[in-house]
Amino acid sequence: MNETLTPLTAEGLSIVPAVHDTKLRLTMSGAVEMRDPGEMLNPFWTKMDEEARSRNVQSVEVDLRDLNFMNSSGILTLVRWITKLKASAAYRLVLRYDRNVTWQRSSIPTLAKLAPNVVVPLEING
Amino acid sequence: MALGRNACGRCEFDGSEEELKQRRGDFLSDYVEMRFGPRWTYISCVRKFVASFFMIGLADKERAEQISMAASELLENAVKYASEEEGYLKISIQKQQNEVDVCVKNKAESQHINTLRREFALIHAGQPETVYLKKMEEAAMTEGQSRLGLIRILFEAGARLRLDVNEGEVSIHAIFPLETA
Repeated sequence: MNETLTPLTAEGLSIVPAVHDTKLRLTMSGAVEMRDPGEMLNPFWTKMDEEARSRNVQSVEVDLRDLNFMNSSGILTLVRWITKLKASAAYRLVLRYDRNVTWQRSSIPTLAKLAPNVVVPLEING
Repeated sequence: MALGRNACGRCEFDGSEEELKQRRGDFLSDYVEMRFGPRWTYISCVRKFVASFFMIGLADKERAEQISMAASELLENAVKYASEEEGYLKISIQKQQNEVDVCVKNKAESQHINTLRREFALIHAGQPETVYLKKMEEAAMTEGQSRLGLIRILFEAGARLRLDVNEGEVSIHAIFPLETA
């Protein structure tokens, strides 16, 4: 069963969530370079975390491949999500990234080291 | 190069193909300099310009993207903490050291300068990855700014960082070694 949830679109960023059977997939595109991305992203990640828990999905996959940049404040929003998940693990968080995008190749594996038991960096070539 | 209604700008570069080829092996210093008012919306524009510029000048996509990330993070700090309506990005390539020096200068209040000095001491007090992960964990537990920009430049981009303060003017340098052909 596939179901599309309400997407987030603002300030050059788009995140489209969709449920595919036992997986919640979030497809990101554009860039996270606003002054305070936490204002927008923290509540959105919290909502996705709640969706994942209420639906008992096995994994949440964040597809970052079309995200051309994320500033350090944006990185922090993912850190907050990972920290919450680490404290109360309910699903695996898969971060799918493109090894040809420099910021993704350097930031995502580092993020995964925060909680290696629940965060899986998934490197794709292209 | 004008970057906006309230900005003034300057870009110095002879972009001929022959000149580009020469500069790959024989870099001239201070060949890019931009100045603009501390407006957030300019940062993205500068980041994209720097990435494009160095992709051509260095023929190294990864290095170009690391340099543009550093420029963006330094500019974000400058816009957030500038005490006056003044802030500018300066990028120079030094032939002697075979390196790229991304420098952002701005005026800052003394308390921000002291915070910056402490931040520099902190990020240089251990292995960059260890410090980065520790700062991430600490930032997740507190409200406010991430303060991850400098350590991100140090660890993810592999740059050296230098802080200069002169009469309330802060200069932060992110220095990238270049591979010799």
